[in-house]
Amino acid sequence: MKRSNANTIDCNGLSPAPTVLRIKQALTGRARDAHPLDILLDPACDTSSLARSLGKLADRVRLVARPA
Amino acid sequence: MFSVFEPEASSSGEPYVLTPEAPSFAFDPTDPWTETFQRGLEAANLSGKRIYEVGIGTGTNAAFLLQLCDAALVSGSDLDPRLIELAERNVRSLAPDKIDQFHPIKGAVSLIDTDAARAQIAQTDVVIGCLPQVGDPGDKRLSAFREAQAVELADGADEQADDHIAHYYPWEAFDSYPFNSVGLGLNEALLQRLREHAPKAEVIMNFGCRVGTGIIFELFEANGFRPEKLHSQIVRQDAGTDISFFVMLEKALTGTGLEKDFVCKFFKDAEGKQPISACEAQKLIDEDPETPLFHEVAVIRGIPAAS
Repeated sequence: MKRSNANTIDCNGLSPAPTVLRIKQALTGRARDAHPLDILLDPACDTSSLARSLGKLADRVRLVARPA
Repeated sequence: MFSVFEPEASSSGEPYVLTPEAPSFAFDPTDPWTETFQRGLEAANLSGKRIYEVGIGTGTNAAFLLQLCDAALVSGSDLDPRLIELAERNVRSLAPDKIDQFHPIKGAVSLIDTDAARAQIAQTDVVIGCLPQVGDPGDKRLSAFREAQAVELADGADEQADDHIAHYYPWEAFDSYPFNSVGLGLNEALLQRLREHAPKAEVIMNFGCRVGTGIIFELFEANGFRPEKLHSQIVRQDAGTDISFFVMLEKALTGTGLEKDFVCKFFKDAEGKQPISACEAQKLIDEDPETPLFHEVAVIRGIPAAS
């Protein structure tokens, strides 16, 4: 199960670019004041670098590093 | 309506001529995607193998596998129940001596999601398929994402041709799969089902490589398969298939610093020597809708990593 609940998005296997696409797609149409989305990142994804790529959108998600 | 498929002689030197019945609701068997796929299947050494095709279409691949690849058994299914009946007629016509080795799964089958399909898959050596890799232009969430990137749908792209489901898939329905973000959700769903129901089976899939082969290889690896490319060729982009899906993926990365990490791969020439991005390809189409564009189609085999 990749999206374990409506507030969690699994990005396992994705490199940074498709991860950002997936996050942007998930946030499309979602209320700006909604609870932050949990994003389960691939172990190879760098959380800080990804947050920089997301810019202001980073405030609307919680990036969770999956253990390698 | 009948189509004639007369590719060059096979590598074994034996000429083959397949004349499948091909109504408008079936994927056109004369499309170069089919030729590419069959070249890849030919290279896969499938003699004596039990094969299942997900999305059997006209049955032209089934007949090809039985007649020219010496498959021991071919089974398959399709989302459109009319196609399995058509495939059976075509195999009976094109490979009459091998009809006893053809075991179609009747009815409408999404991927392998029926008991009969799963039972057959469990006895299969190799699963093959060429599944849509572009989200349905009419998908609501995809439309919202497209609008967020200020990308327009091509004129007529929201009109459904008879063979619509052979080209597009319901994008939102497969959004639980990570690689859905680049149009590979349906393919990932199949890989995961195979890991569960046929963990030892190899998989051979035909891909349009507009998102690049690198990310397709990552799809296989993330789902427990070791990928290898069996065959590829450059084909002309189907004029009827909307490319705004790829344009919006590129545009969505603007300002992220990752723009160069994901660039779709189209070509201006049939030799594949002049690569252009989806945005550049769209610009050419906007200037002249008749502009020929090309992309790679590749046949990729996935071997279960655990084997």
